[in-house]
Amino acid sequence: MIFNGLVTDDVDIPPAADSAPRHLAEGDVGLVQSRDFVHAHPFTLKNGQALSGFTLRYETYGTLNATRTNAVLICHALSGDHHCAGWHSPEDRKPGWWNNLIGPGKAVDTRRFYVVCANVLGGCQGSTGPSSIDPATGRPYGSSFPFVTIRDMVHAQKLLLDHLGIAELHAVIGGSMGGMMALLSAIEFPHLVRRVLAMATTARESAQAIAFNEVGRQAIMQDPAWNHGDYPRDGGPRVGLAIARMMAHITYVSDASMDRKFGRRKKDTAAADAYTLDPQFEVEGYLRHQAQSFINRFDANSYLYISRALDEFDLEQAYGSLEQAFAPVHAESLVVGFASDWLFPPEQNRAVALALLRSGKRASYAELATDLGHDSFLLQSPELYGLVRGFLERESVAFEFTI
Amino acid sequence: MSKRIEKRTVDMRIIGEWVEKDARVLDLGCGRGELLDYLLQTKQVSGVGVDLDFERIAACVRRGVTAYQGDMMAFLHAFPEKHFDRVICSRTVQELNRPAEVILEALRAGRALTVGFVNHGFWKNRLYALFQGRKLRNAVYTTEWHESRPANPLSIADFEAFCREKNIRVTRRVHLLGDWKTPCPIFPNLLAGYALYDLTK
Repeated sequence: MIFNGLVTDDVDIPPAADSAPRHLAEGDVGLVQSRDFVHAHPFTLKNGQALSGFTLRYETYGTLNATRTNAVLICHALSGDHHCAGWHSPEDRKPGWWNNLIGPGKAVDTRRFYVVCANVLGGCQGSTGPSSIDPATGRPYGSSFPFVTIRDMVHAQKLLLDHLGIAELHAVIGGSMGGMMALLSAIEFPHLVRRVLAMATTARESAQAIAFNEVGRQAIMQDPAWNHGDYPRDGGPRVGLAIARMMAHITYVSDASMDRKFGRRKKDTAAADAYTLDPQFEVEGYLRHQAQSFINRFDANSYLYISRALDEFDLEQAYGSLEQAFAPVHAESLVVGFASDWLFPPEQNRAVALALLRSGKRASYAELATDLGHDSFLLQSPELYGLVRGFLERESVAFEFTI
Repeated sequence: MSKRIEKRTVDMRIIGEWVEKDARVLDLGCGRGELLDYLLQTKQVSGVGVDLDFERIAACVRRGVTAYQGDMMAFLHAFPEKHFDRVICSRTVQELNRPAEVILEALRAGRALTVGFVNHGFWKNRLYALFQGRKLRNAVYTTEWHESRPANPLSIADFEAFCREKNIRVTRRVHLLGDWKTPCPIFPNLLAGYALYDLTK
């Protein structure tokens, strides 16, 4: 289902009209496989605690060139994962989450670029996180998993790149939390990153964004099944996680887009003049559907850890000022804000671009006037595709003005 | 070369001479980044443009010119004193909401400000107003009043008076005849079609 041009998480994409296999569609990377990178050495996190090792699950599309300079790293958002394009099997209900952007001939052209995307450290889609087995106890880490920061995610990802023999990234691209990771990669590893494309992101969350995350965390932790993070793999705080997701989902869209999609329309099953607490409005059913599919794929402890990592991310505080934070950057940056994003609003995206410019870096800021809210970076938009392609491929136009 | 393209190159020709090598340049109202691209290639400047339109910013990014989409006043406010070696305001002043504020703010954030504008006191424009009695239309102002952005038509005399009033120092001025090429020897407010000023404060 296409949600007004926005491919939403967890929603079925209808089969192509001619019923040709969707993974063979033109511009699609087709069938893809995940791989695991195992770092079998101790890894010390920012808070001082150490993991005896870790695994990152990742995918790659395209071919690394002979000079190993065409790699593009994709960073996912809070609830995303390493599967950002293509299909795991022809029967999949939906492709990777950024399939509209990545593929042969698409804005991130896999005929030119070698695309890498990994599930973050602390995640639950194959990378080491709270739901992984602690080798010391033989049981899931649960809340004994060390606190993870965006910096830890970025450093773990760097070890994956080392393993893949990538010493130079043509670009690192991410939206929302992925944007934070992209920026931090350019700060922490200046010689690694040539271009940064950060969308719908921020250098530090506002009190409002932290507040929403806290409500989500409370919903999870107040669910008795959370049990202080100690729950079996097939159990856990499903109700709490569902509520957290329902609320968070509202913050990813906008008043206007929800109104257009659902309005006050009632479900077919709604009774006229019903005074009942069963879902009556379509928007209620939609949120419940979102929540249901989310709890089937996401771990509640990972949600707590990653949302905490988002809240703690603060480039100003970590480096003294944004200008100091960006001082080591070598990359050229493009920051993209979305007018209707009220979670990481345009103002916060502008602040990133302006600080980069104040630090004397090459940086651009563009803003799309969509009304789809924070998730607009997943938008099917020719304008966005053109911008991304232009930034990555850069026309080498011969100078056309003769004086 | 068409008349419009030819007129576009006037800023490159003159401003290109004024801009120092390796300077840090800000172009207010950068459009699709042609001027900055030229300065990048001829003077190796580190430049950034500001414009309101997404497509223009995308065009800048495509050609390797860094650009910021947004309000130029808010942009200028975000920079410390004399951050830029030169701010350029080429054919933009007449469309600003509060030109004086932008010019003074540009002189705070930049060491020098270059302003280029069409002289509405040019004799042909006066005759047009006198005989046609209608909104000026020519190679530069091609649109009808109802499809134009709001504009403050200004003349060389207006601009000189403004600089005196605000104690802005004019370090260089170039007045060009109606062909936008030949230097105008006398009576610039009547005979010059285009004017370029280099300012400091």
